[in-house]
Amino acid sequence: MGETFSVSVEGVLKSFDGTPAVNDVSLKVRKGEFLTLLGPSGCGKTTLLNLIAGFLQPERGEIFIENELVTHTPPYLRSIGMVFQNYALFPHMTVAQNVAFGLKMRKVPAPKIAKRVADALEMVRLPHLGARTPRQLSGGQQQRVALARALVINPKVVLLDEPFSAIDKNLRAEMQVELKQIQKRVGITTLFVTHDQSEALSLSDRIAVMSHGRIEQLSEPAQLYRNPATSFVASFIGDINKLPCRLVSVSDAEAAFEFGGIQARLAASHAEGFSPGSEAVLYVRPEELTLLDAGDPAANFGAATVDTHVYQGTHVDVYVRYDDGRVLRARHPGFEAIERFPAGGRVGVSANLERAFLFPAS
Amino acid sequence: MTPDRRPAYFAWFILPALFLAVALVASLASLLQFGFREHIPGSLKVGGFTLENFGRMSDWVYLRVFIDSLLLSGCTAIANLLLGYPLAYALVRSRSSLLKSTILITTIVPMFTGDIVRTYSWLVVLGKNGFINGGLKSIGAIDTPFELLYTPLGVTIALVQYSLPIMVIILAAAISHIDVAFEKAAASLGASPLEVLWNVTLPLSMPGILSGTVTIFAWTLSAFATPQLVGGGKVNMISNMVYQLGFSNFDFPFAAVLSMVALALVFLVLYFMGLGLRRLERVGLH
Repeated sequence: MGETFSVSVEGVLKSFDGTPAVNDVSLKVRKGEFLTLLGPSGCGKTTLLNLIAGFLQPERGEIFIENELVTHTPPYLRSIGMVFQNYALFPHMTVAQNVAFGLKMRKVPAPKIAKRVADALEMVRLPHLGARTPRQLSGGQQQRVALARALVINPKVVLLDEPFSAIDKNLRAEMQVELKQIQKRVGITTLFVTHDQSEALSLSDRIAVMSHGRIEQLSEPAQLYRNPATSFVASFIGDINKLPCRLVSVSDAEAAFEFGGIQARLAASHAEGFSPGSEAVLYVRPEELTLLDAGDPAANFGAATVDTHVYQGTHVDVYVRYDDGRVLRARHPGFEAIERFPAGGRVGVSANLERAFLFPAS
Repeated sequence: MTPDRRPAYFAWFILPALFLAVALVASLASLLQFGFREHIPGSLKVGGFTLENFGRMSDWVYLRVFIDSLLLSGCTAIANLLLGYPLAYALVRSRSSLLKSTILITTIVPMFTGDIVRTYSWLVVLGKNGFINGGLKSIGAIDTPFELLYTPLGVTIALVQYSLPIMVIILAAAISHIDVAFEKAAASLGASPLEVLWNVTLPLSMPGILSGTVTIFAWTLSAFATPQLVGGGKVNMISNMVYQLGFSNFDFPFAAVLSMVALALVFLVLYFMGLGLRRLERVGLH
């Protein structure tokens, strides 16, 4: 209690033509935090951003910016900064005029505007380009000007809508690092929308994974990867094997499950809420599967035949096929696994089931 | 193989345009030569070579009609802009399909009625006992009727209604090319709706504003039926004067000169529009 959140979204509902795009979402963004809304297209992340910006009004629920109720406040009275997908730099103004626009609207005196614009362009390392028009800038430069324009007004929160999607790949990583640096230096609360999970994982303090208008999980990047709360998060973040199976027995200590004639056990804490006989899906990441020589007694996950190798530089993904046809992917660091487990050969499979997740079959 | 290499027979497709161009140039040339011939009063035939017709242009009676025409067209163009911009903006940006179709029906559909029909309707509306005066009288707002018919104001009103659909179409096309993100960006930076309009939307629609205004200006400069009927001989524009000279006085040579001057005037206006558009292009608009 008592903590001031930069943005609070409480029970917000917004639908288009009767279909909810944002469905009863609540979200609190801490001061100075970099929070990302992550999800596939159509999950409602952009709609949620537009609700917070004020371009859309919710049918239900409230939105607060620093404890001030803004649910029905028009965007221009909200004190937000926004960076758009295509930057939306005004083509009929110079770079300096673009950055000055928000200050002009706030009736800041002209000498002060000049100083703050110069500082803002300095911050994004474009101090000499004030006289250019946006057309004369590269994509990365336009991006920085858009950021300077959004930050120069000292907003309470800055909203970024897929800002890197129009930048080519090599530049993207550089711009991401720079955004993160500027964000930490300025200490501005940042709400970032993306469908790119690696972008989200590398930039964010916290990530809200969205699907079908709801937040599936809100937590730190590492938690999303290691402790997905739902099957959607498990399969959306990182690579993962999905293994349909059936619970055989559940005791206080452990649960046993069966797939394709193979039985395995995992800690009961991983199988809470399951009863014997229920259908489930086991999610296990490729790096938690280890291949062993055939007949090795440590193979707790049965035996299979090597299908193919996919060499990835730092690791090899080995696809193994069980006798009932199902295929799992195991990840071995380096490249030795290619020689040690040739295609067509029999291998034993060992799974670190401490790091596996069991979700009900849908 | 270059990717946009087109078959040779495409060249034949230019024939219809070529035919039209030849017909137009030939008739203009014939008109031009009439301008250099002597007028023989009481005869449809023309005499020998003369430059006298161009000298008659300086007569105040004729200059006056040109000035009146320019003023009427200018007022029509500006009134079109003021009325058309909000309509076009609402047509493009409104989320209500009811509003959109209302605008379409009320502004665009009248274009499909002929201009004679429309002009006669204005006679009914503007007349001494017409719709406007009758209405004002019946609610007791006025005693003596407004003079609208046969006045410049009446002609302007009718011309505006006549040309508004074109203006709305041109402006709507220009506004629809403006990315909504520009307006959203301005709003996020603290610009009120009016400030967004003034600082972002209007400047970005300058190409449409310029070409719309100039098109309407050039177009109404050659208006005939509307000033003929609503002006009733008291408000004359260039076309009415040409008609009168050509078909009442049978002074084809002088009528030809006035036509050529009017045409030159329109080309001049279009030339300046081209200059303006090129400047806007350099700024990054258009």
